[in-house]
Amino acid sequence: MFKSGLGGKLTLKLDDAELGVLSQLFEQMAELLEHPESEAGADPLAKMLNMSGSTQISEDPALARLFPDGYSDDEHASADFRRFTEQDLRAQKLAALTTVRDSLSGWTGKSSVTSQQAQDWLKAINDLRLVLGTRLEITAEVETNFEADEPGIHLYNYLTYLQGTLIDALT
Amino acid sequence: MSAMPIEDVAIDVMTDRPWITLVWNDPINLMTYVTYVFQTYFGYDKPKAELLMLDVHEKGRAVVSSGTREEMERDVAAMHSYGLWATLQKDD
Repeated sequence: MFKSGLGGKLTLKLDDAELGVLSQLFEQMAELLEHPESEAGADPLAKMLNMSGSTQISEDPALARLFPDGYSDDEHASADFRRFTEQDLRAQKLAALTTVRDSLSGWTGKSSVTSQQAQDWLKAINDLRLVLGTRLEITAEVETNFEADEPGIHLYNYLTYLQGTLIDALT
Repeated sequence: MSAMPIEDVAIDVMTDRPWITLVWNDPINLMTYVTYVFQTYFGYDKPKAELLMLDVHEKGRAVVSSGTREEMERDVAAMHSYGLWATLQKDD
C-alpha cells in the first residue's frame, strides 16, 4: 500500500504476492500498448512526421476505453483529433508504465515514491483498472458483483484498493 | 492589416463561440480519483471539484471547462491521459 509519512513523503510497501501480480499485470499492459493494431502498414512518411496515429477508434473495447473519441458528435473531427493526439497519449501511457515497471524491478519490499513517480503510478494503476474493468464488462447498466469469488474480480478489487491508498496518501 | 470584410467578421464571431469539455460518467473511475484529477489538472478547489464529479456521476456528464477549440482539445487530451472519458463540442 501507499502511505504518506513525515513531511508528506510517500512510500510504497508491497509483499511478494503483490509484487508478482503487479509485475505481471503491468507487463501485459505494456504489451497491449506496444502493439497497437494500426502499426502494420502505417505510412512510413506519416510515421516519420509523427502523424501515423490511426483515425478510427479501436475495435478492442479496452483500447477504445484507453483511447476514446475526442468528439461525441463529429466523426471527422474525432478522426483528426485521434491522428494528432493518439501517439502522444500512447507514449505518455508507456512512459508512466516504464517508471512503474522500473521501480518494481529489483524490488526490496518497500520504496519511497517521488511526487512525479506518484503521478505515473496513479495513471498506470488507473489504466489497468480501465482495461481490467472493461474486460470484466463492468458497465453502468449492469450491477457487478464485487464479492464474486473470481480471479478477475479479486485483481480488480486489489487495484481499486491500491489506487485508493495512493489517492489517500496524495490528498 | 486590412479591415476585415463584414462577412468574415460574422464568420469569425460564429467560430469564436466558446467550446466546452465534457466529462462523461463511467463505472470504473473512482469518485475520489475523478475529484483528484479535477483538482490537479484544472486547479479547482476541492468543493468545486467534488460538485463537478457528482454532476458527472449523477447526471451522466458535466462541463468541466470552456474556452477556445484548441484549449478544449488540450483539456480533452489531458483528461484522456488520466483515463477520464472526455469529449469537446461547441457550446450551443
